[in-house]
Amino acid sequence: MKAKIIDIKRFAVHDGDGIRTTIFLKGCPLKCVWCHNPEGIENKPQLAYYQNKCLGCGECVNACPQSAHQIIDGVHFFNREKCLACGRCENVCLGKALKFYGKEYTVDELLEIVLKDVEFYNSSGGGVTLSGGECLVQWEFCLELLKKLKEKGINTAVDTCGYVSKEVLEKVMPYTDVFLYDVKAIDEDVHIKCTGKSNEIILENLKFLDENGAKIEIRYPFVPNYNDDQVDKIYNFIKGLKNVQKVKVLTYHNFAGSKYESIGLKNTMPKVIPSEERINKIQTRFDFLLK
Amino acid sequence: MINNIDREFIENKYHLKSEPFNPHRRMEYHGYNYPNNGLTDKEIIDGLREYALKLEGLPRPVIKARAIEYVLKNTKIDVNEHDYFIGIYSWNRLAEKITYDKWIRELFASIPKMNTVMQDFVASGAMSLTPDFDHVIPSWDSLMDLGFKGILDRVVKYENIHKENETLTEQLKGHFDGVKIAYQAVIDFIDRLYNFALKQNHEKSKTVANCLKNLRDGAPQNFFDALQMIYIYFMLSESVDSYQVRSLGHGLDGTLYKFYKQDLENGTFTREEMKNFLSYFLMQWTGIGNYWGQPTYIAGTNLDGTTKVNELTYLILDVYEELGIYNPKVQVKVNHNTPKEFVLRVCDMIRKGQTCFVFCCEPGFVKAMMEYGLTYEEAYNFDISGCYESKARADEVATGCAGFNMLKPVLYALNNGYDNAFKKQIGVKTGDISTLKTFDDFYFAFIKQSDYLFEEGMEIIKDFEQHLGEVNPSLLYSGTIERSLAKGVDGYQCGVKFNNSGIGISGFASAIDALMVIKKFVYEDKIVTLEQLKTALDNDWVGYENLRYKILNSKFKYGNDEPETDALAKSALTRVFEKVNNMPNSRGGVFKSEMHSALEFVRKGQRTSASPDGRKFGEELSKNASPSVGADREGVTALINSALKLLPYKHHEGFCLDIMLHPTTVQGDEGLETMYSLIKTYMQNGGMSLQMNIFNEEMLVDAQNNPKKYENLQVRVCGWNVLWNNLSKEEQDAYILRAKNIQY
Repeated sequence: MKAKIIDIKRFAVHDGDGIRTTIFLKGCPLKCVWCHNPEGIENKPQLAYYQNKCLGCGECVNACPQSAHQIIDGVHFFNREKCLACGRCENVCLGKALKFYGKEYTVDELLEIVLKDVEFYNSSGGGVTLSGGECLVQWEFCLELLKKLKEKGINTAVDTCGYVSKEVLEKVMPYTDVFLYDVKAIDEDVHIKCTGKSNEIILENLKFLDENGAKIEIRYPFVPNYNDDQVDKIYNFIKGLKNVQKVKVLTYHNFAGSKYESIGLKNTMPKVIPSEERINKIQTRFDFLLK
Repeated sequence: MINNIDREFIENKYHLKSEPFNPHRRMEYHGYNYPNNGLTDKEIIDGLREYALKLEGLPRPVIKARAIEYVLKNTKIDVNEHDYFIGIYSWNRLAEKITYDKWIRELFASIPKMNTVMQDFVASGAMSLTPDFDHVIPSWDSLMDLGFKGILDRVVKYENIHKENETLTEQLKGHFDGVKIAYQAVIDFIDRLYNFALKQNHEKSKTVANCLKNLRDGAPQNFFDALQMIYIYFMLSESVDSYQVRSLGHGLDGTLYKFYKQDLENGTFTREEMKNFLSYFLMQWTGIGNYWGQPTYIAGTNLDGTTKVNELTYLILDVYEELGIYNPKVQVKVNHNTPKEFVLRVCDMIRKGQTCFVFCCEPGFVKAMMEYGLTYEEAYNFDISGCYESKARADEVATGCAGFNMLKPVLYALNNGYDNAFKKQIGVKTGDISTLKTFDDFYFAFIKQSDYLFEEGMEIIKDFEQHLGEVNPSLLYSGTIERSLAKGVDGYQCGVKFNNSGIGISGFASAIDALMVIKKFVYEDKIVTLEQLKTALDNDWVGYENLRYKILNSKFKYGNDEPETDALAKSALTRVFEKVNNMPNSRGGVFKSEMHSALEFVRKGQRTSASPDGRKFGEELSKNASPSVGADREGVTALINSALKLLPYKHHEGFCLDIMLHPTTVQGDEGLETMYSLIKTYMQNGGMSLQMNIFNEEMLVDAQNNPKKYENLQVRVCGWNVLWNNLSKEEQDAYILRAKNIQY
């Protein structure tokens, strides 16, 4: 069994407790306007082209079996329609302007990588986080990987948007130490506006996990003009749950804008960034709730 | 705490802030105008030259001691209303004019190789070799327990023992006479200061006079005396006796704590008063402005397993933070039992920008020191000198006699021993590249070149180190070392238990990356022939830009936890430390390997032509156990893993890793925990020293463009700190390049 991976990040310190390795799997059922990993939305592999990094060396022209790359007068032209996303050009690109998202890994290959940092997990209370995209789109793979990680005694976190079937959650729950669970909105219309999907399943699943004793860290990406009116409602919703360990209000930033363009998507990221002060205030409120 | 006027005074005490300053030549400056109670430097030098004629024929230690006495009798002095610490005007090692300057010339003349092979090694940047007198730590215990007077009495006692035993040779008598004259000169100098202080009528003069009286007559009696003692010994050793003191106390907190406790109990001083003295004390080294920083270590573990961290350790940090200084630099001894709260406090200061701290992990140090012969007890009591060098407590001299450029043997293997930058045959003939058919052939050529440099270099070191005590007799230092008095030999020459010689390594990662390029690109993947690669290097990569990019992008770079690269790194480095460690030197001790580059990674880089790792002519080499600039792309855990595979403890003189962290990864309480975990993991798995820089690319680019905005931004270079604005554009660029890869 293999999974399509967009990135593996060692020394991840924002995806759960301690020092972790985060594995970003490809594919996501939602389409959040603020998504900062747009390369994780599509299930299929994709080639990203970062024009500003291109040196015009032409190495990609020789590597591409589809003639998707052309150099004309020293300028690189990339024909996305021809590209089959085989990834061959990534390795030869001298300026690192081409990046392949969707490289396939087996469970054992990933294990070998994540096991390198066991000492750091142990000393920091960290471990491995599965993220994405929505990692549970490739749930069978995740299940296999989580089982192996638990066999090795490694702490596991699943970073999920919650838009998955209850059965899947039920299966991965025994091998997941903590769910990093996104709550983007309580009002359904707001959720649809932000993500393109209803939140009914998401909130149901959250309650399900809570009732079944899963440890949960709620993550609320706070985006002005989109879901900034949901604070009270999220607050009240969490108040009714028993197993929430932590609530993290995520500061929205729009650094990832160039990624959209690189994979041929329109940048949908909102322009307004919340002030640190505003985030801290809301964070304090949630912290107080959990005390 | 020190007030602003006094702070301003100390900042101008040694050189005027308003004038251009070269920290490498700090002693050539004078600060404010001293009272007219002595001669100018020029008058002293003229006087010394005349005096030298009368001293001719006397034993060298006596000549040097008389010269020191002359300087101390005639220098202008001060006990200023703005300072608790004394002032000595002539601090530019003037005694050397009639001693060292002449004797070092004679030494060079007497050893032909020093003017031929040694000169070539040094000038080509292959291996720096130098008679080193800049890494001593006296017995602070002797100084604190006996004072200058008590030490003088002890010298006399041992001289008499030698007399009785009929072991007092002419030579030994000369040595004892020198030490006695020098110590008497110090006592007289303190008396001079005392009498001057009595005549002053300012708020501080009485306190200072009392202290000087105590120090003239015997051992320090209180906290302030102890601080003044450290300062006076430091200034006289470094600036008059020409021996740089590389630690303030056996742990600043360790040496001072008994006085601190006693003064609090007796009501001699309050905590606030001692805090005030400390602020004046630490400011001295900020004022002096030694480029390398003045080292002092704190914390650590007692033999019984309890921590040495006490309330004074915290007080030192408080003062340091309130002053907002970066010199002295502070080595923090950590161990499994070091209070977490304390480590987190230091981490917090580092992330706020005080990167003048380096963590020295005791388990790694102890293991390294036992490897060269220390008992467990001796090892546990170790001193730290210089940047992060290990020393047996007041019982080891390890000279910083050599710096090896590990990239040169790679280039010599490519060029049959010819140095392209220096335009001369420096290495041995290992054959034309056409004869190097396999990577093993190349690797053996590299080893041969490397071995040759070590063998030749170490022979030369042995030649000149036999004469260290003749070139620069150690007088003040010898007096503090009881073992040297008992043995009846110069303390620095061979008077301690461990008379060692340290060899630092630069360009380690550059060399490994270069070897991996040759392995992969030439022999395995056949992307380029050895001849083509050599041509590319001869042309400094001009016309071979694409090849260079391919090489720079290669994943086979040290620092990424890449198994094949790390295996080669371990193998090549093992060869180095096996060549060096525990090989006898000429002072009754051994050589010690050290993964420490000082500024050699820049200096030697300037003299090293383009290299297979993609480096261009003149660019800096990798430093310490750290990766080449910009080569670590897998994050800090991968880097630490790579470094730990190298067997740090095999570098007996020290092993240091530099890590760079993005500010967002160390934010908040969780960020502190992250820093703590990194230190802990590094320590648990055999690491020795670890230093951190915390910044991101955007901020550094901004700082480069808007220097005014970042006047206080400091960076850790290689065992010391400098202000960002004092780095050259190229040095700044190297930090920016490395910062590009750090993860957040």
